[in-house]
Amino acid sequence: MLVFVALALITIAFRSPTSGPLHTVQGAGSTALRPFQIAATRVAQPFRDGYDYVSGLSSAKSQLKHEKALYLQVRNEAIANKAAAANAQQLERQLRFVQGTRFPQDFTAVNTAVISPPGGAFAHSLAIAAGAANGVRIDSPVVSGDALVGIVTNVYPHSAKVTLLTDPNSFAAAVDLRSRVHGMVHTGPSGTLILDQVPKTQKVRKNDVLVTTGTHNARYPDLYPYGIQIGRVTSVGATDTAVYLQVQVQPFANLGSLSSVSVLVPKKPR
Amino acid sequence: MTLGDGVKAAALLFVAAITQVSIFSEIHVFGAVPDVLLVTLVAFALLRGSVAGAVGGFFAGLLVDTASLGTLGLTSLVLTLAGYWIGRYGETTGRDRAHAPFLSVAVVTVLYQFGLLVVHFVLGENAPAGAVVRSLVPAIVLNLILTAPLYALVRRLLRPTEPQELSAEVQLLG
Repeated sequence: MLVFVALALITIAFRSPTSGPLHTVQGAGSTALRPFQIAATRVAQPFRDGYDYVSGLSSAKSQLKHEKALYLQVRNEAIANKAAAANAQQLERQLRFVQGTRFPQDFTAVNTAVISPPGGAFAHSLAIAAGAANGVRIDSPVVSGDALVGIVTNVYPHSAKVTLLTDPNSFAAAVDLRSRVHGMVHTGPSGTLILDQVPKTQKVRKNDVLVTTGTHNARYPDLYPYGIQIGRVTSVGATDTAVYLQVQVQPFANLGSLSSVSVLVPKKPR
Repeated sequence: MTLGDGVKAAALLFVAAITQVSIFSEIHVFGAVPDVLLVTLVAFALLRGSVAGAVGGFFAGLLVDTASLGTLGLTSLVLTLAGYWIGRYGETTGRDRAHAPFLSVAVVTVLYQFGLLVVHFVLGENAPAGAVVRSLVPAIVLNLILTAPLYALVRRLLRPTEPQELSAEVQLLG
């Protein structure tokens, strides 16, 4: 009997995943459970902080050395980028350049807590404590800091479901900031993120930074605006039989342990 | 099962489901996640039998699916079957055996993972068989570590029933 009820629930939920009475009931249930989830998270917080403190201490020395070197490199890059950005802005004004939504200027960030992190091999989604009442809509991009996390795929009045970048059905158009090579970031066969559809004639290097490409065709607007950081290239390979380069990517966002995220809501509706 | 027992069991599974979704799902060890809810359900089903195990599994799964905004009924389906089978084992051969909780947890961890894999595959969702197989051994180890304390806790909260209370259909001879 219970098996049939479960099968009926799956059928209804599967046929209308983003609307309908069951969706409403699930939203209400999620809202009712939220205080308990937040309470559980708060109880666990001191233990989590303690673990982070201890693990941070163990790797602090080597981390400091690495961070110092990185700081010098980033400072130089920041100065060069500032100059280039000022130049680009001036050129855009002179050309009256028309472009799609820009990140972060054209978006309002709805900062929210993660109430259900992804768990296990099947889950590539998380539940957040902001919903339609906070302006969150389906297909709103989600970031952590400035790094891409995923996209909103289901919205309830006071909660929403975010499908992560690591979901096998997630694709993000990306561009290499150094070489301007375009490709698609998605999960590869081995479960890691890859930059796909990059011809072998193109040059992508280890440590290159990838950002979202944004809209190129007004008829088919990209879900992500230009410039959200995705990750860093960790390895580049090519085989004789493959058509494209094999580029592995390490995402900037720590998708396995997110306690809060920002949902990007466009200031102007799409 | 008395009303008091039912309330205690409901509270226990509720707390297990909430902590699983909010806290334990974040702990990844070699790709595996410790499953407090599954271990609690196994302990409950062993002590209270197949029907109670199935009902407990159904409602625990419903809580997980609601809290994590997953496909409603998916976890319920697998946990209902897990609760029923382990309850049945508790009513028959597993009764009064010290190794029963550990054996049940090890077996049900494997069946639960493959059950989820099959359901996800049938629904056309992400079903990473390789990742599931790789995380199987760590998942069993993690769940076995949780078994002793959780079984002791559940046994303390829920008084073990007399054999004749568990099932009217099965009688042990000898």
